[in-house]
Amino acid sequence: MKTTLLTLLIFIATSFLLISCGDDDTADIIIYDNSVVNNGGGDTPTSQQINLSGTYVDDLTLDANNSYIVNGPLVMTEGTTLTIPAGMTIRALAAGSDVYVAIAQGAKIIANGTADMPIVFTSNASSPQAGDWGGLILLGKAPINSVTGGNETATSEIGSLPYGGNNPNDDSGVLRYIRVEYSGGKADGQSENNGFSFYGVGDATVVQYVEMFEGLDDGFEFFGGTVNVDFLVAVNAQDDSIDWTEGYIGTITNAHVIHGPEHDKGIEGDGYNTDIGNNSNPVFWSHPTIENLTIIGLGSDTGNEAIRLRAGTRVTITNAYIEGFNEGFDMDGDDTNNPTGEGVLLDETNAVNISFVDVNIKLKNDTGVSFTEIDFIQGDGNGNGTDFAFWGARWTVE
Amino acid sequence: MIKNRLLILLFILTCGSVFSQKGIISGQTLDAEMNSEPLPFANVFIKGTTTGATTDFDGNFSLNVDEGIVTLVISFVGYQTIEIENINVVAGETVELNPIILKADEGESLDEVAVTASTKKESVQSLLTEQKKAVELKTAIGADELSEKSVSNASGAVTKISGVSKEEGSNNVYVRGLGDRYLNTTFNGLTLPSNSIDKKNINLDLFTTDIIENVSISKSYSPHFFADFSAGNVNINSKEYTGNGFFDISLKSEMNTNAIGSDFVKSEGTGRFGFYNRYDNNPFAVVLSHGVDPVSAGTPIAYSISGAAGKSFNIGDDSRLSLFISASFDNNYTLYNGSEIDYTNDYNKRFPNVDRYKYSTNTTLLGSAIYRFNSEHKISFNSLFINSSGDEVGFYGTQGDGFYRDSRSFVDTDRGFYQMNVQFNQDLIFVNQLLGNHTLTEKIKLDWGIGYNNVYSHEPDRKRISIEDYFYALDDDLNTHPVLLTNNSFDNQRYFQKVIDDELNGRLKISYQVTEHTKINIGYTGRTKSREFENIRYGYKNFDDSLIVDPRNLNSIFNGNNVLIDSLVQTDVFRPIPGMSPTNRPGLPENTYTGNMDAHGGFVSAEFNLNDKLLLVPGFRAEYFSQEINYDVINLVNNPSSLKVTEEFYLPTLNVRYALNDSQNLRASVSKTISTPEFKEMAPYVYEGVTERVGGNPDLLGWQDGVSYINVKDVSYSDILNFDLKYEWFMGNGQIVSFAGFAKQIKNPVNLVVANDATGTQRYFRTGDKASVYGLELELRKHILFNADEQAILTTGFNATYMHTEQDLFSTISGTYSTSFARSKDQLEGASPFLLNADLSYNATFGKSIKSTFNVVANYYSDRIYALGSGQLGNKIEKGFAALDFIWKNRIGDNIELNFTAKNLLNPDLQIIREIQNNDEILLSNYKRGINLGLQFNYKF
Repeated sequence: MKTTLLTLLIFIATSFLLISCGDDDTADIIIYDNSVVNNGGGDTPTSQQINLSGTYVDDLTLDANNSYIVNGPLVMTEGTTLTIPAGMTIRALAAGSDVYVAIAQGAKIIANGTADMPIVFTSNASSPQAGDWGGLILLGKAPINSVTGGNETATSEIGSLPYGGNNPNDDSGVLRYIRVEYSGGKADGQSENNGFSFYGVGDATVVQYVEMFEGLDDGFEFFGGTVNVDFLVAVNAQDDSIDWTEGYIGTITNAHVIHGPEHDKGIEGDGYNTDIGNNSNPVFWSHPTIENLTIIGLGSDTGNEAIRLRAGTRVTITNAYIEGFNEGFDMDGDDTNNPTGEGVLLDETNAVNISFVDVNIKLKNDTGVSFTEIDFIQGDGNGNGTDFAFWGARWTVE
Repeated sequence: MIKNRLLILLFILTCGSVFSQKGIISGQTLDAEMNSEPLPFANVFIKGTTTGATTDFDGNFSLNVDEGIVTLVISFVGYQTIEIENINVVAGETVELNPIILKADEGESLDEVAVTASTKKESVQSLLTEQKKAVELKTAIGADELSEKSVSNASGAVTKISGVSKEEGSNNVYVRGLGDRYLNTTFNGLTLPSNSIDKKNINLDLFTTDIIENVSISKSYSPHFFADFSAGNVNINSKEYTGNGFFDISLKSEMNTNAIGSDFVKSEGTGRFGFYNRYDNNPFAVVLSHGVDPVSAGTPIAYSISGAAGKSFNIGDDSRLSLFISASFDNNYTLYNGSEIDYTNDYNKRFPNVDRYKYSTNTTLLGSAIYRFNSEHKISFNSLFINSSGDEVGFYGTQGDGFYRDSRSFVDTDRGFYQMNVQFNQDLIFVNQLLGNHTLTEKIKLDWGIGYNNVYSHEPDRKRISIEDYFYALDDDLNTHPVLLTNNSFDNQRYFQKVIDDELNGRLKISYQVTEHTKINIGYTGRTKSREFENIRYGYKNFDDSLIVDPRNLNSIFNGNNVLIDSLVQTDVFRPIPGMSPTNRPGLPENTYTGNMDAHGGFVSAEFNLNDKLLLVPGFRAEYFSQEINYDVINLVNNPSSLKVTEEFYLPTLNVRYALNDSQNLRASVSKTISTPEFKEMAPYVYEGVTERVGGNPDLLGWQDGVSYINVKDVSYSDILNFDLKYEWFMGNGQIVSFAGFAKQIKNPVNLVVANDATGTQRYFRTGDKASVYGLELELRKHILFNADEQAILTTGFNATYMHTEQDLFSTISGTYSTSFARSKDQLEGASPFLLNADLSYNATFGKSIKSTFNVVANYYSDRIYALGSGQLGNKIEKGFAALDFIWKNRIGDNIELNFTAKNLLNPDLQIIREIQNNDEILLSNYKRGINLGLQFNYKF
């Protein structure tokens, strides 16, 4: 038995030796942090600086005499109104994530600026960068095609707030002469905030003269809804400048898109959200109307696409000027769930009066449906885009 | 053997000198059912006294007996009881008996079966006998059968039981089509924690056969189980050694036909033995100090080493202390070659070529001490430690043909997408249990247990890198290079996750034999459990244009110098430390949650033997149940927050057994049970895997103020009704035929489906009014051929299950989260309509000393829903397949065993598809696992 016990002991000892650990060798990292982030924007000491965040169940009216810092999610709930005076600059804590302004279903924003006194949402960092904070989010009760219909709702990518419904004429308030800067902060590991996010926003909402400047993600994203936008500017959006999905059917008049060194598509349009499906009954697809569009890329030799259309989206584009892309239109789809090509055959998708300058391929058709360029694009060379120099004067930055 | 004899002799001498007024009876028991091999653990006692012992591994026993004429009784569960009368014991002398051969029989009483402490439930026959006598529907598989079929762990064990199947490539076990959330796992009757954040049950792979005495599944409810009982309870009984002393050692080597010859890789910084030594460092320091590239894992030949030893000590006249220790280490190399696609309504990611290298280890230590005061009282202590690790390196899109829907490539958006995922998971599990059995009076017995469990589940430093234009890494042009995908800071990321679970649980049962025909059980089972979860993640952003991307040397980019000194790369974190930037700075945990759960229930049940044939067992349980969850997560408006629910459950149950004759039973069982949601299902935190996102939903607990609901019920649990009917025929000698029919109805069932939330996140919903399961089970174990001595040489085992499942689905669900269904009903997730497990074993003898067993084991399951599609999404289907293993065991002489195993011989395609329109399908993943060939050497000292 002694030999057995000895063997046993040896075995146990060996077992413990076997349980050798992994390597460590992790260096001590000592960080001397002299930077001061979240410093204010040099406001005069006479004004009151007020932090804004949290869920508001009463109206909130900002006072032009004060300065405001958004330092977390600012959510206006059903029945409340956020009123912002013309000329005000609202700064957001440069925390990178979880700082945004959301107008929930049934709430309103009244932000009525002027060309000379635009309302600016920007970062409070001393040297601001794209992605310093989230962005502006409106949620309404207009139809989306990710749900079957009625008063069913989906929940937003940011903050999990409900959106969608059966009121195409829903009213989320007024956005006029608004600039959102350095937005696009991350929401989670997969998604980022946009400059402006419109979730199921209805067409009684007034959106005119809006600019997204230096954003980490999309400039403007439409998740269904019927909202119309007049005079839209996207400068240096690092993802898509204009993005739609989930059955967006509004009209965008006069859109001006300029790519910076980091960018994705000028426009990326989806008929529905392919992660969920087109659950609408009767079925409808995104079908925006775009009039007077200019997209300026970095040159045809830098690759990329000006406009990508997929997942069955329809679109009607009239008068567009596209410059500096490898591809003008890139259309993807198939003949079952993603009938992007079918839209062209049914003449629901078409592009009239389009000019391509420094563009190698005007149309790349990967829809699985065959049609000719002329079936889709009419009036090639007749487009002159939008007169940004005229309407963008004074209130925009480039 | 000689050594043991010597030992016994020494033992006898010692005893002899102390108790000089006594004599000794010694002998050996042999097993008639196993070619007259020694029968260990038989009970030997002197009639009319408390003097007794169990035989050791070699069937030997030796008793100190008072002088006089005595009768010796030898018994073993499932075997004939033998009495040897008129043994004349003389002080100081030894009576050496002839070998005593025991034959299988069904002659013993129920009480004897109930004394689990003194029986060894490893053999097929003894377990069948227990099954026959049991008052509930229960199926068990013992160590003998596991060893015969070369089953290496408990998970392999349960799949030998009818109606049970396992999901390939994961540790999901399904009982009658109901998966993880409908099962419970216990160890010696006390709840075990899960080792994984996304599971309710522990991975049964972690329980190696070395430490298992038997594994059983109770498919019908008894009130000593917690109210949360749906498909069944898996119980693992640990090895319980009471013999005189033994020491075994086993060595095994195995290779996988895919892995052998490959340059096998694993994570950097992890030990070959499944440990990781950087937990004490701040994750940010780990990110800066260490790179992302995997390292060589050496030659992919797996091995395992295990040893077990036991020894017992007699203390005084009646008491006996038995010690047992088992230690094992094994590792495994598997290379999965195949393809993977992420497709919902359109292609999101498409990887035609994927290589996944998986290196896993398992270290198990079990110590047990059993102290038997006398035949009335016994206390045992079990301490179990398990370290399990999985080290997986995946290369997705290796031939440059990968596709990503949101590609930002300026060269080709249709191909060239590549991802590398390097992930290490380590689970450290500690289980400590104190158990007691007491015979208080002839009629009253007490059975109790207390357990304390801890689980540390770590996912440290998972590295995920995303690359575009990967084809440039494959060509010979030195001027072209791939680029990093930089859509989001977290396309290239390091992720750290930690979960700690603690649980205290207990059970207590008093049985009172009121009359010969009536027995009453009263008891309590309770548990209190807590969980702490946290994770943090660092992303990379703003890569300098001068950085050249070489997918085989990513450390040249992802290193601390580039971040801190040269400023070529920046790190990003979700929650900056207040006052600090998220860029190039450490951060606070991204998501945290804590959970608490309490379940305390009292039960009463009675066993009425109305006549010789009919046994009625009515029971009732009343349980207080509460659970609470507190969370602080990202990307949620109502945060941080907490939820709490408290319920009382009253559950009646009835089990009936009718003995048609001595060997045939009819059984019926009716019960009401409950299914409660788990922490992870309620906490609205989203886990972002490589290709899927899963989050919780507080609506599972019912309504809250301020939310409007469509098709969301104000309930916090599911009611379940269970019906079972079974016919069993015990043909003796380890043979059985049984038929069973079952039906279940689950109200307000929970499914994991894609929510309408713009990101494709899957969440838990109560998807319909009810789900129903109906099924038939057939089980057969039969000897086919016998040799001249009438011993079985060819035996077959076979079980098959046919199921019909159906659940209704709401067209729309809207609450805190929403989803919808385009169809009104479907099958249950995870339910294969048809399951089959079969085996054939052949015994042969070569020469005098080599005994061989040839075993062929087959499993089959038909197609089943892997994930229910919501909206117009089709279901994800796991394609059915057949698996075949071959095991050749050789026992050479008394001490040596040499075995050969060939597993996964058919090497089938493991496929998951998504159904799309027009009865078409998209192949989402397709892998071959390769064949595993192994050689095993066992030595018994």
